[in-house]
Amino acid sequence: MPETELWITKLFNDYLAGLGNSFLGLVGMHAEARPWANFITMQILVAAIIIILAAALRARLSFDRPGKLQHIFELIYEFVGGQAEDQMGHAGTKYVAYFATIFIFILIANLIGIIPGFESPTMNPSVPAGCAIATFLYYNMVGLRSNGPVKYSAHFAGPVWWLAPLMIPIEIVSHLARPLSLTIRLYANMFAGEKLTMVFISLTYFLIPAAFMGLHVFVALLQAYIFLLLTMIYVAGAMAQDH
Amino acid sequence: MTKKMILLVMILLVASPMLFAQSADVAAQTKAWASIGGGLAMAIASGLCGLGQGKAVSGATEAMARNPGAIGAIRIMLILGLALIESLALYTLVIVLIK
Repeated sequence: MPETELWITKLFNDYLAGLGNSFLGLVGMHAEARPWANFITMQILVAAIIIILAAALRARLSFDRPGKLQHIFELIYEFVGGQAEDQMGHAGTKYVAYFATIFIFILIANLIGIIPGFESPTMNPSVPAGCAIATFLYYNMVGLRSNGPVKYSAHFAGPVWWLAPLMIPIEIVSHLARPLSLTIRLYANMFAGEKLTMVFISLTYFLIPAAFMGLHVFVALLQAYIFLLLTMIYVAGAMAQDH
Repeated sequence: MTKKMILLVMILLVASPMLFAQSADVAAQTKAWASIGGGLAMAIASGLCGLGQGKAVSGATEAMARNPGAIGAIRIMLILGLALIESLALYTLVIVLIK
């Protein structure tokens, strides 16, 4: 099915095609006629929404009389902070920044596809891959920084030293499988949800495709939460070598 | 029982040249077989995933009934386990969609 352009992408391609082609030139790809893809402009839109919300929140932060926006963000912060504390104890509060960012990004990116005229950037396999690779680099960095490189690589050897030749390939493969599974889980859920709704819209009418769209909303929320949970479990596993 | 199995194998052996004879357009045939294979793969994956998730939910609800104090922790484990099992069926979906 050929990719139809959203109105945002059309705007970008009409006015900023030179900018897009210069980005392509930076990585050595040749210039195209309409360089901006749907998922790139939608990602930029999601990032812009988050930045504007955060800036508006910062202007209105108040200790005595919190406004509605502050309440919402306090809810989100408590939710993510509570989950982090469940997984990692008190050391978790250092990492809540990354967790909350990735949770809010994936949540808004998943949900923005419901609005007609927009498309979830997570429907394209590149976007979940980017989030998964960022998470992979992050939890490895956390492990290296909190345990030191020697101790962190030593945990690949497993519980007893003479099992090491068996455990090291298994551990390496399972660590490499983590970003792969994160990517495919998020991408396939979003892609399948959209395709299912499309199929049912073409098959029957009105209430039944709406039911599948409702399922898609639930799955979008759940998948954002699962991504958050797995990120925290991986970071907890990387940190936990000292106890 | 074994006599029926032998009869079935014989019928398959005799019928297989007819099944595998390529007709004029190979591409359409390959596509047809790919669709059938994809549907079968997805059916098996979804069925087994359903069984696995059923077992997970049954274990979780039984544990919650036995120990109402641990409902919060069990709920987190349940959601995580269901998503991980679901992702196995989704891997199959991705392979089917690619082909």
